[in-house]
Amino acid sequence: MIDQMTCEETFRRLDDFLDHELSASECLLVQEHLEICTICAAEFKFEAGIWSEVRAKLQRTTVPPSLREKVTRLLRDTNCSDSTEK
Amino acid sequence: MAGIKGAAKLFESNLEPILGVAYGVAFHLTHNAADAEDLVQEAAVKSFCGFHNFQADTNFKAWFLKILTNAFFKRCKKKRCEPEIVDLEENSALYLYNQTCKAGLHKVSDDPATDLLRRIDAEHITAMMKLLPSEYQIVTVLYFMDEFSYQEIAEIIDCPVGTVRSRLHRSRKILQKLLWRVAEEQGIVSKYLNAQIPKENDRPNDLRGNIQAA
Repeated sequence: MIDQMTCEETFRRLDDFLDHELSASECLLVQEHLEICTICAAEFKFEAGIWSEVRAKLQRTTVPPSLREKVTRLLRDTNCSDSTEK
Repeated sequence: MAGIKGAAKLFESNLEPILGVAYGVAFHLTHNAADAEDLVQEAAVKSFCGFHNFQADTNFKAWFLKILTNAFFKRCKKKRCEPEIVDLEENSALYLYNQTCKAGLHKVSDDPATDLLRRIDAEHITAMMKLLPSEYQIVTVLYFMDEFSYQEIAEIIDCPVGTVRSRLHRSRKILQKLLWRVAEEQGIVSKYLNAQIPKENDRPNDLRGNIQAA
Protein backbone atom coordinates (compact mmCIF):
# COMPACT_ATOMS: atom_id res chain seq x y z
CA MET A 1 0.00 0.00 0.00
CA ILE A 2 1.27 3.45 -0.87
CA ASP A 3 0.63 6.14 1.70
CA GLN A 4 -0.13 9.21 -0.37
CA MET A 5 -1.13 11.53 2.44
CA THR A 6 1.02 13.15 5.07
CA CYS A 7 -0.03 13.30 8.72
CA GLU A 8 -0.74 17.01 8.30
CA GLU A 9 -2.92 16.49 5.24
CA THR A 10 -4.77 13.71 7.02
CA PHE A 11 -5.23 15.77 10.16
CA ARG A 12 -6.71 18.63 8.13
CA ARG A 13 -9.41 16.22 6.98
CA LEU A 14 -10.17 14.81 10.41
CA ASP A 15 -13.53 16.53 10.94
CA ASP A 16 -14.77 15.99 7.41
CA PHE A 17 -13.71 12.36 7.58
CA LEU A 18 -15.59 11.79 10.83
CA ASP A 19 -18.66 13.48 9.36
CA HIS A 20 -18.55 11.43 6.13
CA GLU A 21 -18.14 14.64 4.17
CA LEU A 22 -15.09 13.62 2.14
CA SER A 23 -15.29 12.42 -1.43
CA ALA A 24 -14.85 8.67 -1.89
CA SER A 25 -11.32 9.12 -3.22
CA GLU A 26 -10.24 11.41 -0.36
CA CYS A 27 -11.80 9.08 2.14
CA LEU A 28 -9.78 6.22 0.74
CA LEU A 29 -6.55 8.21 1.00
CA VAL A 30 -7.28 9.02 4.64
CA GLN A 31 -8.11 5.39 5.38
CA GLU A 32 -4.89 4.25 3.75
CA HIS A 33 -2.90 6.68 5.86
CA LEU A 34 -4.69 5.57 9.04
CA GLU A 35 -3.82 1.96 8.32
CA ILE A 36 -0.15 2.87 8.23
CA CYS A 37 0.16 5.68 10.77
CA THR A 38 -0.62 4.51 14.30
CA ILE A 39 -0.38 8.03 15.72
CA CYS A 40 -3.02 9.47 13.39
CA ALA A 41 -5.11 6.33 13.82
CA ALA A 42 -5.10 6.80 17.61
CA GLU A 43 -6.07 10.46 17.27
CA PHE A 44 -8.89 9.69 14.84
CA LYS A 45 -10.18 6.85 17.01
CA PHE A 46 -10.15 9.16 20.02
CA GLU A 47 -12.05 11.91 18.22
CA ALA A 48 -14.61 9.48 16.81
CA GLY A 49 -15.12 8.04 20.30
CA ILE A 50 -15.66 11.47 21.88
CA TRP A 51 -18.27 12.64 19.40
CA SER A 52 -20.08 9.34 19.28
CA GLU A 53 -20.49 9.44 23.09
CA VAL A 54 -21.55 13.10 23.03
CA ARG A 55 -24.13 12.28 20.35
CA ALA A 56 -25.46 9.31 22.33
CA LYS A 57 -25.84 11.42 25.47
CA LEU A 58 -27.53 14.31 23.69
CA GLN A 59 -29.95 11.95 21.98
CA ARG A 60 -31.05 10.63 25.36
CA THR A 61 -33.89 13.14 25.61
CA THR A 62 -37.30 11.58 26.10
CA VAL A 63 -40.35 13.05 24.47
CA PRO A 64 -42.89 13.81 27.22
CA PRO A 65 -45.75 11.31 26.73
CA SER A 66 -48.26 14.15 26.78
CA LEU A 67 -46.64 15.96 23.85
CA ARG A 68 -47.97 13.64 21.15
CA GLU A 69 -51.44 14.00 22.57
CA LYS A 70 -51.10 17.79 22.84
CA VAL A 71 -49.95 18.04 19.23
CA THR A 72 -52.79 15.84 17.99
CA ARG A 73 -55.34 17.91 19.91
CA LEU A 74 -53.77 21.16 18.76
CA LEU A 75 -53.88 20.13 15.10
CA ARG A 76 -57.47 19.00 15.46
CA ASP A 77 -58.39 22.41 16.85
CA THR A 78 -56.27 24.38 14.39
CA ASN A 79 -58.26 26.15 11.79
CA CYS A 80 -56.09 27.07 8.87
CA SER A 81 -58.14 27.17 5.72
CA ASP A 82 -55.15 26.82 3.38
CA SER A 83 -53.72 23.63 4.91
CA THR A 84 -55.37 21.45 2.25
CA GLU A 85 -55.00 21.30 -1.49
CA LYS A 86 -57.52 23.30 -3.39
CA MET B 1 -64.13 18.18 4.93
CA ALA B 2 -62.67 14.86 3.87
CA GLY B 3 -59.79 16.82 2.31
CA ILE B 4 -58.97 18.53 5.57
CA LYS B 5 -59.13 15.26 7.47
CA GLY B 6 -57.01 13.54 4.85
CA ALA B 7 -54.39 16.28 4.93
CA ALA B 8 -54.35 16.22 8.72
CA LYS B 9 -53.84 12.46 8.72
CA LEU B 10 -51.07 12.66 6.16
CA PHE B 11 -49.41 15.46 8.11
CA GLU B 12 -49.59 13.53 11.38
CA SER B 13 -48.20 10.39 9.76
CA ASN B 14 -45.20 12.46 8.63
CA LEU B 15 -44.79 14.16 11.98
CA GLU B 16 -45.15 11.16 14.25
CA PRO B 17 -41.82 9.42 13.42
CA ILE B 18 -39.80 12.64 13.72
CA LEU B 19 -41.34 14.00 16.89
CA GLY B 20 -38.50 12.56 18.99
CA VAL B 21 -35.80 14.33 16.98
CA ALA B 22 -37.86 17.53 16.84
CA TYR B 23 -38.34 17.54 20.60
CA GLY B 24 -34.63 16.76 21.13
CA VAL B 25 -33.59 19.67 18.92
CA ALA B 26 -36.10 21.97 20.64
CA PHE B 27 -34.93 20.86 24.08
CA HIS B 28 -31.25 21.49 23.35
CA LEU B 29 -32.05 24.89 21.87
CA THR B 30 -34.37 26.10 24.60
CA HIS B 31 -32.71 24.16 27.47
CA ASN B 32 -36.06 23.73 29.07
CA ALA B 33 -38.70 21.00 28.73
CA ALA B 34 -41.70 23.35 28.84
CA ASP B 35 -40.23 25.74 26.25
CA ALA B 36 -39.26 22.77 24.08
CA GLU B 37 -42.84 21.49 24.12
CA ASP B 38 -44.12 24.95 23.24
CA LEU B 39 -41.67 25.26 20.40
CA VAL B 40 -42.58 21.88 18.93
CA GLN B 41 -46.27 22.74 19.16
CA GLU B 42 -45.73 26.11 17.51
CA ALA B 43 -43.76 24.45 14.71
CA ALA B 44 -46.45 21.76 14.36
CA VAL B 45 -49.18 24.34 13.84
CA LYS B 46 -47.08 26.44 11.45
CA SER B 47 -46.04 23.46 9.37
CA PHE B 48 -49.56 22.01 9.39
CA CYS B 49 -50.92 25.27 8.03
CA GLY B 50 -48.16 25.41 5.44
CA PHE B 51 -48.30 21.72 4.58
CA HIS B 52 -49.63 22.45 1.10
CA ASN B 53 -46.22 24.02 0.39
CA PHE B 54 -44.39 20.83 1.28
CA GLN B 55 -43.22 18.81 -1.71
CA ALA B 56 -44.20 15.19 -1.16
CA ASP B 57 -40.96 13.65 -2.43
CA THR B 58 -38.67 15.82 -0.28
CA ASN B 59 -37.38 15.49 3.27
CA PHE B 60 -40.21 16.20 5.71
CA LYS B 61 -37.88 16.12 8.72
CA ALA B 62 -35.60 18.80 7.27
CA TRP B 63 -38.62 20.88 6.25
CA PHE B 64 -40.17 20.62 9.70
CA LEU B 65 -36.90 21.43 11.48
CA LYS B 66 -36.47 24.48 9.29
CA ILE B 67 -39.83 25.76 10.53
CA LEU B 68 -38.90 24.85 14.09
CA THR B 69 -35.52 26.60 14.00
CA ASN B 70 -37.07 29.68 12.40
CA ALA B 71 -39.63 29.78 15.20
CA PHE B 72 -36.77 29.48 17.69
CA PHE B 73 -34.87 32.37 16.07
CA LYS B 74 -37.97 34.55 16.26
CA ARG B 75 -38.39 33.75 19.94
CA CYS B 76 -34.73 34.53 20.52
CA LYS B 77 -35.10 37.93 18.91
CA LYS B 78 -38.06 38.70 21.16
CA LYS B 79 -36.48 37.36 24.35
CA ARG B 80 -32.90 38.24 23.44
CA CYS B 81 -31.84 34.79 24.63
CA GLU B 82 -28.11 35.16 24.16
CA PRO B 83 -26.01 32.42 25.73
CA GLU B 84 -23.35 33.01 28.33
CA ILE B 85 -20.19 34.22 26.61
CA VAL B 86 -17.83 31.32 26.31
CA ASP B 87 -14.12 31.65 25.85
CA LEU B 88 -13.69 31.36 22.09
CA GLU B 89 -9.96 31.40 22.21
CA GLU B 90 -8.83 29.01 19.52
CA ASN B 91 -7.53 25.71 20.80
CA SER B 92 -6.20 22.68 19.03
CA ALA B 93 -8.61 20.28 17.35
CA LEU B 94 -6.88 17.67 19.50
CA TYR B 95 -7.22 19.60 22.74
CA LEU B 96 -8.96 16.79 24.59
CA TYR B 97 -6.64 14.15 23.18
CA ASN B 98 -3.62 16.12 24.35
CA GLN B 99 -5.09 16.83 27.78
CA THR B 100 -5.98 13.19 28.37
CA CYS B 101 -2.49 12.18 27.23
CA LYS B 102 -0.89 14.64 29.62
CA ALA B 103 -3.10 13.40 32.43
CA GLY B 104 -1.95 9.84 31.76
CA LEU B 105 -5.32 8.46 30.70
CA HIS B 106 -3.90 6.78 27.62
CA LYS B 107 -1.51 4.78 29.76
CA VAL B 108 -4.28 3.03 31.61
CA SER B 109 -7.03 2.81 29.03
CA ASP B 110 -7.32 1.24 25.60
CA ASP B 111 -10.27 3.51 24.85
CA PRO B 112 -9.71 6.76 26.78
CA ALA B 113 -12.36 8.70 24.83
CA THR B 114 -15.14 6.33 25.81
CA ASP B 115 -13.82 5.87 29.34
CA LEU B 116 -13.78 9.62 29.88
CA LEU B 117 -17.09 10.45 28.24
CA ARG B 118 -18.99 7.64 29.96
CA ARG B 119 -18.15 9.33 33.25
CA ILE B 120 -19.52 12.70 32.23
CA ASP B 121 -23.24 13.03 32.89
CA ALA B 122 -25.62 13.72 30.02
CA GLU B 123 -26.82 16.77 32.00
CA HIS B 124 -23.36 18.29 31.82
CA ILE B 125 -23.18 17.72 28.08
CA THR B 126 -26.62 19.23 27.65
CA ALA B 127 -25.51 22.23 29.70
CA MET B 128 -22.48 22.69 27.42
CA MET B 129 -24.73 23.31 24.45
CA LYS B 130 -26.11 26.30 26.31
CA LEU B 131 -22.66 27.84 26.46
CA LEU B 132 -22.12 27.84 22.71
CA PRO B 133 -22.86 31.04 20.79
CA SER B 134 -26.36 30.67 19.31
CA GLU B 135 -25.22 30.42 15.68
CA TYR B 136 -22.88 27.56 16.65
CA GLN B 137 -25.43 26.01 18.93
CA ILE B 138 -28.06 25.46 16.28
CA VAL B 139 -25.63 23.80 13.86
CA THR B 140 -24.21 21.62 16.62
CA VAL B 141 -27.61 20.54 17.95
CA LEU B 142 -28.84 19.63 14.46
CA TYR B 143 -25.61 17.74 13.83
CA PHE B 144 -25.75 15.70 17.00
CA MET B 145 -29.48 15.06 17.11
CA ASP B 146 -29.60 13.45 13.71
CA GLU B 147 -27.40 12.19 10.92
CA PHE B 148 -27.78 15.34 8.85
CA SER B 149 -25.12 16.15 6.28
CA TYR B 150 -23.57 19.63 6.18
CA GLN B 151 -25.70 20.29 3.10
CA GLU B 152 -28.93 19.37 4.89
CA ILE B 153 -28.05 21.52 7.90
CA ALA B 154 -27.24 24.40 5.54
CA GLU B 155 -30.67 24.05 3.94
CA ILE B 156 -32.44 23.92 7.30
CA ILE B 157 -30.82 27.06 8.64
CA ASP B 158 -30.48 28.78 5.27
CA CYS B 159 -26.75 29.39 5.16
CA PRO B 160 -23.81 28.26 3.02
CA VAL B 161 -22.36 24.77 3.53
CA GLY B 162 -18.96 26.31 4.30
CA THR B 163 -20.50 28.21 7.20
CA VAL B 164 -21.97 25.01 8.62
CA ARG B 165 -18.61 23.30 8.29
CA SER B 166 -16.63 26.06 9.99
CA ARG B 167 -19.17 26.55 12.79
CA LEU B 168 -19.32 22.86 13.48
CA HIS B 169 -15.56 22.42 13.50
CA ARG B 170 -15.11 25.43 15.75
CA SER B 171 -17.91 24.32 18.00
CA ARG B 172 -16.23 20.95 18.50
CA LYS B 173 -13.06 22.72 19.58
CA ILE B 174 -15.02 24.70 22.15
CA LEU B 175 -16.83 21.59 23.34
CA GLN B 176 -13.51 19.82 23.86
CA LYS B 177 -12.45 22.58 26.19
CA LEU B 178 -15.76 22.45 28.03
CA LEU B 179 -15.62 18.67 28.32
CA TRP B 180 -12.18 18.86 29.85
CA ARG B 181 -13.31 21.60 32.21
CA VAL B 182 -16.14 19.38 33.47
CA ALA B 183 -13.83 16.37 33.73
CA GLU B 184 -11.46 18.37 35.91
CA GLU B 185 -14.15 20.02 38.00
CA GLN B 186 -15.80 16.69 38.68
CA GLY B 187 -12.46 15.01 39.46
CA ILE B 188 -13.33 12.40 36.82
CA VAL B 189 -9.80 11.87 35.54
CA SER B 190 -8.14 11.60 38.94
CA LYS B 191 -10.81 9.21 40.21
CA TYR B 192 -10.47 7.11 37.09
CA LEU B 193 -6.66 7.05 37.27
CA ASN B 194 -6.65 6.11 40.92
CA ALA B 195 -8.83 3.13 40.17
CA GLN B 196 -6.67 1.83 37.31
CA ILE B 197 -3.55 -0.27 36.91
CA PRO B 198 -1.25 0.96 34.11
CA LYS B 199 -1.29 -1.07 30.91
CA GLU B 200 1.71 -3.35 30.53
CA ASN B 201 4.53 -2.23 28.21
CA ASP B 202 2.92 1.12 27.85
CA ARG B 203 4.53 4.07 26.19
CA PRO B 204 5.72 6.77 28.55
CA ASN B 205 3.62 9.41 26.86
CA ASP B 206 1.17 9.24 23.99
CA LEU B 207 1.50 12.83 22.88
CA ARG B 208 2.31 13.34 19.24
CA GLY B 209 6.01 13.80 18.86
CA ASN B 210 6.83 11.60 21.84
CA ILE B 211 5.69 8.37 20.32
CA GLN B 212 8.48 6.25 19.02
CA ALA B 213 7.85 3.95 16.12
CA ALA B 214 7.69 0.34 17.29
